[in-house]
Amino acid sequence: MKKVFSLANVLAVAWFAGSLVLLIAIWWVVSLVTAHEIPDPAATWTVFSEMLQDPFYDYGPNDKGIGIQLWGSIKRVGAGFLLGSLVAIPMGLLMGASPVGMRLLNPLVQILRPVSPLAWFPLGLLAFKAAEGATVFIIAITSLWPTLINTAFGVSSIPQDFKNVGKAFGFSRWKYVSKILIPYALPHMITGLRLSIGVAWMVIVAGEMLSGGIGIGFFVWDSWNGLSLEKILSAILIIGFVGLLLDKLFNGLQQLVTYDKK
Amino acid sequence: MQPKQFVDMPGAPVLGKNKRPVSIDVKDVTIAFPSRGKGVFTAVKNIDLSISKGEIVSIIGHSGCGKSTLMNAVSGMVKPTSGEVIVNGKRVTGPGPDRGIVFQNYSLLPWLTVYQNVYQAVDAVMPAKTAAEKRELVERNLTMVNLYQHRDKLPSQLSGGMKQRTAIARAFAINPSVLLLDEPFGALDALTKGSMHIELLKLWNLDHREKTIIMVTHDIEEAIFLSDRVVVMNDGPAATIREIVDIPLARPRNKKAIIHLPAYMAVHDRLLSLLTQSFSIEDEGVEYQE
Repeated sequence: MKKVFSLANVLAVAWFAGSLVLLIAIWWVVSLVTAHEIPDPAATWTVFSEMLQDPFYDYGPNDKGIGIQLWGSIKRVGAGFLLGSLVAIPMGLLMGASPVGMRLLNPLVQILRPVSPLAWFPLGLLAFKAAEGATVFIIAITSLWPTLINTAFGVSSIPQDFKNVGKAFGFSRWKYVSKILIPYALPHMITGLRLSIGVAWMVIVAGEMLSGGIGIGFFVWDSWNGLSLEKILSAILIIGFVGLLLDKLFNGLQQLVTYDKK
Repeated sequence: MQPKQFVDMPGAPVLGKNKRPVSIDVKDVTIAFPSRGKGVFTAVKNIDLSISKGEIVSIIGHSGCGKSTLMNAVSGMVKPTSGEVIVNGKRVTGPGPDRGIVFQNYSLLPWLTVYQNVYQAVDAVMPAKTAAEKRELVERNLTMVNLYQHRDKLPSQLSGGMKQRTAIARAFAINPSVLLLDEPFGALDALTKGSMHIELLKLWNLDHREKTIIMVTHDIEEAIFLSDRVVVMNDGPAATIREIVDIPLARPRNKKAIIHLPAYMAVHDRLLSLLTQSFSIEDEGVEYQE
């Protein structure tokens, strides 16, 4: 068992606390310079803690607690990310494994990848006839690229040595896939998924601003209309922390599948 | 009654010119690769080599002389451009389970444990065996190379010698009639190397010296200690066989004792001069001390 209070852990916490202090200091300065047009951290904290008093209240369609908003966004991101991955992983495997697939699909990927999520939104609306479906659609289509590219790279970069082992010992196709291809490509795949979930989480705010309904993105827009900058800043902090948590989650997954543990 | 095996076994291929059946027949093999910009690169040319069952043959030569290429033609990893390789009476068209390969850099799968690395090879080659039989086979081979207690470790947790032993156990476990070793001990320190030589010969003896072994090496002493014959290659490109040197030393050989034998010294001198002749062309001005 590792010690929880090891020097390294204590230091990590200390650095994290230090960077939070830095953030608050800069924030305060900005607030002073703008003559409190941007609310200072203390004022924001007051609103933030109020929001956390009852995060799951529900006073009708346009007035719901931050917890409900956040959960709505997480569900949407989860659905979009899952759909995107379901397309990205098989397509990445195909591109990585076959040169024909790579040549055929790579230009397509290069053209579609830089397209802004907002550009996809009308197409989503057209296809799903609903804002909800369109939001999930834009998350899926913008978050699938990192997974696709990393999976394809992972599969296409399998060292000749490992392929030779499969050849020399007459591995069946299935054994080659399950014992060589997947284990080698998995860390690359997880890296792709980690980048993808980051993209998905970034897209959600823009998506929800367009789609409305329940969600953290809509909450930000709604707070702007209500001119509560404290709420906007609180939401930004929440978005940041949830993004960090998602990243940590996939980082943990990455650690789990690295095979070169010392 | 059968005579006691493997100590001065009758018919043991001491000189490599025995009455045993031919195991590997390399017939007029030329291997060329398409090379970028320059058309075709010929690695080896017109190679003829016949190896009897149970023989240990080393291929020695300078880097890039095509010795690995020649061995890959036997393993089936590389197709000859012309000529053919016959192993156990069958023409080689690709890799097969009758030939076990120990790769230069071990090539263990880093995500599998020692046990699994061997098991997956056994499972691929012998799908008809029951799970218990396969397990027994893997465990027996790991025990032979003294790795049984390390069977659950990953390759990254092993020393170079242990990785090499795993690779050897993997090659032996599928019970091939031919064993192909590509610079198997090149990356090991001198002490580990020495004990690995003994390990290899032990395994060969345990199997009643039935397995034919081809080994690619840079190391003259290693080649002499292990082999019945040493094939010296010319420098590439289009390398040919310069000479095949018989090693007239009876088995079992004692590493310390044989180096004082006149026969050993003669063979050593011969090999060295065969190899240094071509040294001096490339590396003029460098003095080699012996």
